[in-house]
Amino acid sequence: MSSTLSADTPAEAREAAEEFRSVHSAIRTEVGRMMVGQDATVDGVLAALFAAGHVLLEGVPGLGKTLLVSSLGKAIDLSFSRIQFTPDMMPADIRGTNVLTENESGGTKLEFQAGPLVANLVLADEINRATPRTQAALLESMQEKQISVGKRTIQLEDPFCVMATQNPVEQEGTYPLPEAQLDRFLFKLVVGYPAENDYRTILRRTTSNEQVQLKPVSDANAIIRMRQVVRAVPVPEHVETDAIRLVMATQPGNEYTAPMVNEVVALGASPRGVQALILAGKVRALLEGRFAVATEDLKAVAHDVLRHRVLVNFQGMSEGVTSDDVIAEVLK
Amino acid sequence: MSSHEPDQIEEDIKTVVWNSSNQIQSVDQRAAIAANIPVAFTLLLVTPTVGLLLQGFRYLGGFESGSIFPLWLWIGLTVSVPLAWLFYKAATLQISIDRQRALLAADKQIGSAERITTADDFMRRSSADGFMKAAVDDATEWAKRGRVAKLEHSKTSRPDSRAAWFAIPGSAMLLALVFFVGQFARPATLADVGLSDKDLKLQESAAVTDPDTEEQREDAPEETEEEVRKESSKKPQKQKAVNRQGDANAAIPDNAEESDGKLNEGETRESQQASNPSSARGAPSASGQPSKSDETPKPRKKKKKKSKPEREREKKEREQDEKPSGASSGQGSSKGSDNNAAPSDWASTSQAATPEDDNVEEEDDVDDEEEEQESRGGVQPNMRDRRTPVNRDLQIGFGSARPNPDANGRGGPGGQKKSRGVASLVLGVPIPDRVNGQPNKGRIRITQQRITPEIEESDPVEAQDRTALNGPVGPIHHPELEPWLQNLVRRYFLDQREKAPLRTPEKDNDTTISDDSLQTSNVSESDSPQS
Repeated sequence: MSSTLSADTPAEAREAAEEFRSVHSAIRTEVGRMMVGQDATVDGVLAALFAAGHVLLEGVPGLGKTLLVSSLGKAIDLSFSRIQFTPDMMPADIRGTNVLTENESGGTKLEFQAGPLVANLVLADEINRATPRTQAALLESMQEKQISVGKRTIQLEDPFCVMATQNPVEQEGTYPLPEAQLDRFLFKLVVGYPAENDYRTILRRTTSNEQVQLKPVSDANAIIRMRQVVRAVPVPEHVETDAIRLVMATQPGNEYTAPMVNEVVALGASPRGVQALILAGKVRALLEGRFAVATEDLKAVAHDVLRHRVLVNFQGMSEGVTSDDVIAEVLK
Repeated sequence: MSSHEPDQIEEDIKTVVWNSSNQIQSVDQRAAIAANIPVAFTLLLVTPTVGLLLQGFRYLGGFESGSIFPLWLWIGLTVSVPLAWLFYKAATLQISIDRQRALLAADKQIGSAERITTADDFMRRSSADGFMKAAVDDATEWAKRGRVAKLEHSKTSRPDSRAAWFAIPGSAMLLALVFFVGQFARPATLADVGLSDKDLKLQESAAVTDPDTEEQREDAPEETEEEVRKESSKKPQKQKAVNRQGDANAAIPDNAEESDGKLNEGETRESQQASNPSSARGAPSASGQPSKSDETPKPRKKKKKKSKPEREREKKEREQDEKPSGASSGQGSSKGSDNNAAPSDWASTSQAATPEDDNVEEEDDVDDEEEEQESRGGVQPNMRDRRTPVNRDLQIGFGSARPNPDANGRGGPGGQKKSRGVASLVLGVPIPDRVNGQPNKGRIRITQQRITPEIEESDPVEAQDRTALNGPVGPIHHPELEPWLQNLVRRYFLDQREKAPLRTPEKDNDTTISDDSLQTSNVSESDSPQS
């Protein structure tokens, strides 16, 4: 399997799309052996991985956010690291720093010791517990896939994906993520409670001697190739128009903005929102067996893509309006 | 993808566009008409309203009864106005359906996830990659389905049911009203009858001189509206009779006409009223009710305004009336006067407010106030008779020269004293604000003034050569060198010294101290302890 994509003919395109679906299905099945339920969340995480984006998982404790990401790390042969964010964590703790080491001749030399951020798959657990200074250390790595330590710039290996979790309830001692950082996440997935049947499966697996061992079913090259397949999916003109107007409709004071949005929205989605919409729509189109993005793909991913990019103002919060309500209004 | 397939799908897409456009156009037309249906319902009211106005003008113009148009024409006009409006809107409707909209509608109808629209877009692009071609291939089957697809008629906006509810019965009611109004003809006015202004003045003057007429006018508010209508409906016929009788009878008021034929010769109106008390106003049977006197304040006021000659004239008339009033004995007034009650104006004698009555009322008011005060135990605070308490301030003045204007020497706590201690706990006691001084300078206000920059003239600075330092250099810091570096420097300068003898400043007459010499001397000093 070559890592470069060649899809000049319809047959090659069909083959690439079929390969994408098979890789996706294999990873999905392997993760599903460990992760019970939460199908939408698993699909969202995989979509973010194939779309070369980062994902923010939000949910109350005990819903398997960390388990999902760690399972994904095991199902794909990628370097995986986990960072448990705490308020006393410093940027050097995650990026790495220069350490004085002894050489063979007995002398000392400065040597860069990479932090946990230098990995393919990074689980940033409880990211909103870190101080803004440490959170800001992630900005460069998430956007430009590189980290700068002193005068040294380190290119992060492809694929690089940050999967962060945050707890919406435990706001004590947390630092809300700034808009600049939130905008860098492709998806914000809200993890909900499992269904009744899922509880039974969870109980059987976790309270017995049954041990689930995951094995890698894909590797970094396959993920890189699948990312190329995703980017090769064309976008019709009318879908582009819809995506642009959808994002513009979330921005207050716009010609496409609904009156309700003008009243309750403080900050709309940025151009990154359009990019994220199209990329996520491409992944969904491939999974739906199509070769081009449709408007229904945009609508399907709009909530996950725009949820964290739309900021509700004080009036909206006082009226109990959420960003999901705003997006639902925009999609009408 | 075979060579004929692009032509085939292109043909299919064209057909889809054609079919879809036609269907969308018809749906849009229907939607536009449906959107105008509430307006059409409202227009149902136009013709009946206009008809009602016309009938109103007819009524005011004194035309004969009847409708302008027959009923069928009214109904036809009522219905044709909204229909004309709908036809006009349908005729002027311009619907432009672009290709993309038509294809999207077809895609939506067959559930193809916009495959046909996407294929149409990719086919019109100059360069197409494998995915685009695959997308076009993928749309082939869907385009065939789209050729025969019929668009689902989207739900057109139904007319507002409330408008229909109000408009249809409303127009029917208005039409009915048009015909109802048409049944009546307006009663003719005096001007219509042909009476001149002079005649009208004569009528007025007759009404003023005739006291009976005046009485009847005063009692006019007691007449019901129905009586007025009946009289007004009779008026035209009577006025015609008046015209026939000629000018001599034109000055006779209407009331006088009512009594035509009822009075016999030599019989006065009053005697007739006395002989028929039940039919006359102010009948003695009614005058005996005490509540009647309370319910007639207006006549009292009117009669107060009467001038003195008028009152005297009325009195005389009453005396004349009392003489033949034996038939009404036993019908006294509520005041119980000695005279027999007159059947006609009992109210004017018993209830008219004379000046004596006014005095009695004023005395009653004063007595009431005194009784009120006695009943509540004297003059009470917080009542309307409360007076400002006397200030008991004993202060002589505010200073040596200024007297206290409020001080009257009677003593007692002033406002300031009242506001202290327990009194300050009482919410009703006002506490004056006393600001003796401020601990600081006061508020600091920072004001910013916007000043536009101005060009200032200054002497140009001329460049000069930098000369050597003449003054003392001062203490020069020499960093502590590493031992090996000190040895290196020491060895270097020792070598230099061996090569060339040390020049003393005295020998060269050089007043400046060079860095080399300083360094050398420093090294020599540092070497000396070691050596």
